[in-house]
Amino acid sequence: MNEALVGTVPLPATAPSEGFAELYERTFPRVYAYVASLLRDRSAAEDVTAQAFERAYSKRRSYRPARGSMDAWLFGIARNAALDELRRRKRRAVLEADPEDSAAPAPHDQAELALRREAVRAALATLDGQERDLIALKFAGGLSNVEIARVLRTSESNVGTRLHRTITKLREACHD
Amino acid sequence: MTDVLTAIDDALDTGVAAHEDPTTRELQELALALQADSPEPTPVYREWLGKQVEAGFPKKRRSKPAWWQRLLHPAAAVGMVAAAVLVIAVVAGGLSSSSDDEAAHGGGVVADAGGGGGAAESGGGGGAADSRAAPEPAGGKAERSAGTEGGASRALADNSIIPIEPPSGRGFAPGRSDRKIERSVALELEMPVDQMARVAEQVTAVTNRNGGFVLSSSVSTGDEDSAGGDFDLRIPAAQLRPALRDLAALADVRTQSQTGRDVTREHVTAKDRLRAARAERRSLLRRLEVAATDEQAEAIRRRLDLVAGEINGLRGQLRDLRLRTDYAVVTVSLLAKHGNGGGAGGGSFDDALGDAGDLLVGVAGVIVRVLAVALPLALLALLGWLAGSVLRRRRRESALA
Repeated sequence: MNEALVGTVPLPATAPSEGFAELYERTFPRVYAYVASLLRDRSAAEDVTAQAFERAYSKRRSYRPARGSMDAWLFGIARNAALDELRRRKRRAVLEADPEDSAAPAPHDQAELALRREAVRAALATLDGQERDLIALKFAGGLSNVEIARVLRTSESNVGTRLHRTITKLREACHD
Repeated sequence: MTDVLTAIDDALDTGVAAHEDPTTRELQELALALQADSPEPTPVYREWLGKQVEAGFPKKRRSKPAWWQRLLHPAAAVGMVAAAVLVIAVVAGGLSSSSDDEAAHGGGVVADAGGGGGAAESGGGGGAADSRAAPEPAGGKAERSAGTEGGASRALADNSIIPIEPPSGRGFAPGRSDRKIERSVALELEMPVDQMARVAEQVTAVTNRNGGFVLSSSVSTGDEDSAGGDFDLRIPAAQLRPALRDLAALADVRTQSQTGRDVTREHVTAKDRLRAARAERRSLLRRLEVAATDEQAEAIRRRLDLVAGEINGLRGQLRDLRLRTDYAVVTVSLLAKHGNGGGAGGGSFDDALGDAGDLLVGVAGVIVRVLAVALPLALLALLGWLAGSVLRRRRRESALA
């Protein structure tokens, strides 16, 4: 599919080195993971991810490399779409309390691994929305601190500080 | 803190948590667990979205938005603001130019002696009575004056300013040449100081060429403040039109005014009285021839002396009236043009420079007016856009609060 995509989809005007199809192939799993982590709803995550890519496609000519990497630009769009969805559906309660409707553990998962996952998910539930957003951008989205700073419109040092505080809080929550 | 973050990034890159510090290693493991626990899309969804991307996200047919929804579009809003600014600018420019026009054209030109009056003309001296006097409306004579400023030069050049013509009124036949009109014209000509002497000479030349004469004149040249000139001219009424045209062509006409006064009634009255006096004189002469006594003859002579004095006075009055109506009083003032400003026309480089300066000033005026409207609007739009952005962002972020 890659070859067909590169051949049919116009390239972003300001990033001639990478076409939209390549961007999609490279970032799709991470964007989906980030959106799903934020929404904790796979069905909504699919809608929002598609919506985010569609928005990015229609706005691809507005991307300016000087404002940050293309990943940061795309995740900014995805974040806005996810937040709009959250606000629209009043999912705050879900974000704070509802368990994730994640896929069932694979049969070959070891018991220890499953336990650790449960502990991490329980710890994640103790975080507030902004902390969960930060964790999702970092570990599900796979963004660097610089890119997260671009998405959140803050400084890199602020992102580092908040990230350190949040992951420390997460570790303590896992111990509890 | 930086070391911890670096260690976490290393673990995410390598997939291995191997830091020496147990706490940091624990954080690395946690980071790996979070990474591994990231949701993954289903193959079906992945394939569907891939096809969407491949097809360029084909648009679903959407219903046409209502007209008010189109107005909410940012481009439409910007267009409406721009149109409003343009309209305001045009209106401001139009008002400005119309007021300029009014100032330039003054109160218009009215060339009318008005009033109308009886027209009568006797056949001249002698006792032949020629009583063709038309019925004279009330008022008998009237006086009107009109003035132009600024664009008078152009108006004169177009021959649209004409000397005072007979009015068409009741009891008065238009086009009759026997009306007696006193005409006076005042012209203010503006020119650079270095051209004043030349223009002064040409004023005299124009006067002579049209059969008139210079009653008095004074011209001073020097610096702009003291330079100037005044001419008191008499131009034959029949030559007034070409003479004015020639005078207006000498320099820029700053102001121009005309006055007309119908003195036909005075003329007719004087003539009637002259006729009556002559008739009386003839009667007295006949009575003198047949006077029976010296006393009667002496009384008739005294009366003849009185009548002769009256006849002489009336003749002088008629002469004066003829002079005033046959010649128009033209007053020409020469004014120094300051700083090459004002007035259009002229072919010199200075004139062109002046015109260019005026044009630039005009354009700058329009720009200032447009900016005066557009800048506050743009500022308001910018503030609105910023406030809207902040509000939108906060509302979005509120989903995470």
